[in-house]
Amino acid sequence: MYQLKVWGAFKDYQKNRYRDYLFAPGGLRVTGSTWSVLSPLKGLGEDVYILGGEPHSASAAGTLPEEGRLDLAAAESAGLGFHSCSYLKLFVGEIVRDRIAITDGTNKEGYVRPDLVWTTHLCTQHSKWYQEVSRRLGGVPMYAIDMIGGGNAEKDAKIVKYVSDQLDEGIRWLERVTGREFSDERFARAARNEIKVLVLWGNICALNMHAPAPLDERRLIALFPPAMVDRTTDECVRLYESLLAEVKQMVAANESVVPEQRFRVVYFGLAHTYGHPETSRILRDAGAEIVASIYTFGTTGNFKGFTGKTWSWQPIDPAWVDGLDLSTRRKTIEALAKIVLGWPTWQGVRSYWAIEEMAKAMVAEYKADGLLLAPTRSCETDFRNGYIAMQRIFRDSIPTAEYDTDQVDVRKMDLPGSKRKTELFVQLMEARQRRGQG
Amino acid sequence: MPPKTARAIIEYFRGVTEDPHAYARSLQQKGQRVAGYMCTHVPEEVLYAAGIVPVRIITAHTPQAISRSYIHETYCSFSHDCAYQGLEHKYDYLDLVVTASSCIHMSEAFNVWVRFAGFQTKSYLIPYPHIMQTKPARGFMVESFAEFKQFIESFAGRAITDADLEAAIGVYNRNRRLLKQLWDLLKLERPPISGPDLATVTLAAQVMDKAECNRLLEQLVHKLAGKQGRAPAGVRVMATGGACDHTGVLDLIERLSYPATLVFVDSCTAARYFWFEVPEGRPDKLDAIAEGYLSRIPCPAKDVVPGTGEKERFRFVQQFIEEYRPDAVVCLYQRFCSPQPMDVVALKPILEKLGIPSTDLELDTTIPLAQFGTQLEALLEITQRMAPGG
Repeated sequence: MYQLKVWGAFKDYQKNRYRDYLFAPGGLRVTGSTWSVLSPLKGLGEDVYILGGEPHSASAAGTLPEEGRLDLAAAESAGLGFHSCSYLKLFVGEIVRDRIAITDGTNKEGYVRPDLVWTTHLCTQHSKWYQEVSRRLGGVPMYAIDMIGGGNAEKDAKIVKYVSDQLDEGIRWLERVTGREFSDERFARAARNEIKVLVLWGNICALNMHAPAPLDERRLIALFPPAMVDRTTDECVRLYESLLAEVKQMVAANESVVPEQRFRVVYFGLAHTYGHPETSRILRDAGAEIVASIYTFGTTGNFKGFTGKTWSWQPIDPAWVDGLDLSTRRKTIEALAKIVLGWPTWQGVRSYWAIEEMAKAMVAEYKADGLLLAPTRSCETDFRNGYIAMQRIFRDSIPTAEYDTDQVDVRKMDLPGSKRKTELFVQLMEARQRRGQG
Repeated sequence: MPPKTARAIIEYFRGVTEDPHAYARSLQQKGQRVAGYMCTHVPEEVLYAAGIVPVRIITAHTPQAISRSYIHETYCSFSHDCAYQGLEHKYDYLDLVVTASSCIHMSEAFNVWVRFAGFQTKSYLIPYPHIMQTKPARGFMVESFAEFKQFIESFAGRAITDADLEAAIGVYNRNRRLLKQLWDLLKLERPPISGPDLATVTLAAQVMDKAECNRLLEQLVHKLAGKQGRAPAGVRVMATGGACDHTGVLDLIERLSYPATLVFVDSCTAARYFWFEVPEGRPDKLDAIAEGYLSRIPCPAKDVVPGTGEKERFRFVQQFIEEYRPDAVVCLYQRFCSPQPMDVVALKPILEKLGIPSTDLELDTTIPLAQFGTQLEALLEITQRMAPGG
């Protein structure tokens, strides 16, 4: 079994970014969806510390699950609905409880107030989340960007212009609200880093087309947080360059973190913190590995994407990023808008055909033996009817199974039922293999 | 023969809401083309300018087991019910179905129609901002509306001229003004029309040919002018929240064991539908339509003021509270709705500060109305106890 050399550096990067947010003296603290274009923040200076909502909630629940449950309960007691996004509730619950937990196990009394909110509005709860954060903290200045993505959006000139205009306006707002001078030079450097990391991650994921796949879902989930937490730094680029180099060597040597791979599984869903280890164990015991997933690939990775209505998970050459013309603010903004609008996870949020095309391509390109669907009960973007449709699409080709999960709310997952479905899923793949179809 | 009395006009409107299909089909029998729309952000004026009557898709308020095979159960029952209407082929007669990108739940209902209900080749999705207050939103809408106009011209086989658009804007503004005139009556000491009746009239307006609707509304306004109704009984109740096309829920407020009067409904099936106008006489008609639609009371799914994160809708809610003087507020939203409950959690402290008690009604077709009755009566009791001398 291969041990990744870069593992410790990845964990340290994530931990240190969170510690900076909590403990760094001075500087500017920013929160918001990490599904936002982050590099404009770095135009304000290097001392900008980011607390991305989704990775923070996920990692806080993973590190201190009991605290996470208390946070959810506190948010609901404060009036947030049972059906609302559980990431949102965990995040707000920390504010209600006036404490904050991070991945190194720190559980700090006294919530660390952000100076501003810089975020994205994609699902209908995205802005609501930070409006509630802002309100509870007494009115934190907030700028949300309407990311009207979905199905080839990055190729629609009117959408690219709309998002770019908002970013342009947002930069002026950042200057006004912080009183800091915006450096286009710093912005361009951060933007190139941001785009580079997204492309590098796409390259790393694409290496899992190889059999055996060098990485499994557990490693993928652990390796993409640096790109989620802060992908704008030189250090982050170096991390992913080193990971890409290492995984390339693994492929050349036919090595894998899990060499025993009887079945290759494609996964659509988010990381459900509670049930995921249990269902993964069932898969692993049967020699089935998740080799590709919309979540780990698509949240912070860019790929070739759509040509017309056909999706490709082939990677983008990292050298393309080096050649990008970021010589003006507008050019930089447009490059960022296009890359972010091209994120796989966004393609499907408002476009049923896009998510289905991506699933078809992933199953084909990663030579899947089965498709596991685990939509998330409190995430409306992860509950598209595309998931239901996929069971119809693949019914006659590969086994599919679907069970309900939730990102961080254990109450919403039927774990015994999900485990049973996973066992049946494995048996279906075995049966298919016995029939000589696999 | 036009109805003779105000009651007869109201009952005519009620009939339209009870069987919108019969009404829409009657338009087709007269040679009209009819387009269904799923969200009130659709610029109806563009359709109307092309001689197409926009008809809002409204629901049947029945449990829809069949739709669970297409949309997950954690989507709201309004979206399920809309999807169900398509899957049950209740709207097969429509010439077209249109929506503007709105909340994800309703987008999925639209997708179900497009994919599984036979509307693949007769549907159009209008890309629409998800935040109403950004500076670039207007320009984006103009481009998006221009594409929509082009599609409709091709669909209708005729050009839409500026004169067509101006005429449509005029008809729609007239409709909005008439509805507003009627809702203004609820501010009177003895309103000649009830809140539930007005909510029904407003819902019917969303289904009807606006020219015909305007004629009836004009008659209704005329017949109600100067008339006095009964004095509002008991607790004055305002409803605020999301789509509620089940008029029975609003009727219930005035049929409880305690007296209560519905004085205002802030929802996209009531006041938010018409509480704006499109500027008239502008050289750029699509820009005028964009300006008008941007001035609407924002849907909670699209309401974020850049820079402050403020919810602009709350300004309107406070305005309605000042003008319609409710003693209690009912926060009305669909179970599983994402944005509405997030507004309620922020609205409640404001209501508390104003000393106005409130309750949440989480609508779902699986919940019997009687259950809401109990909840509403509890609200009325609390309100009465809080009143001076209560």
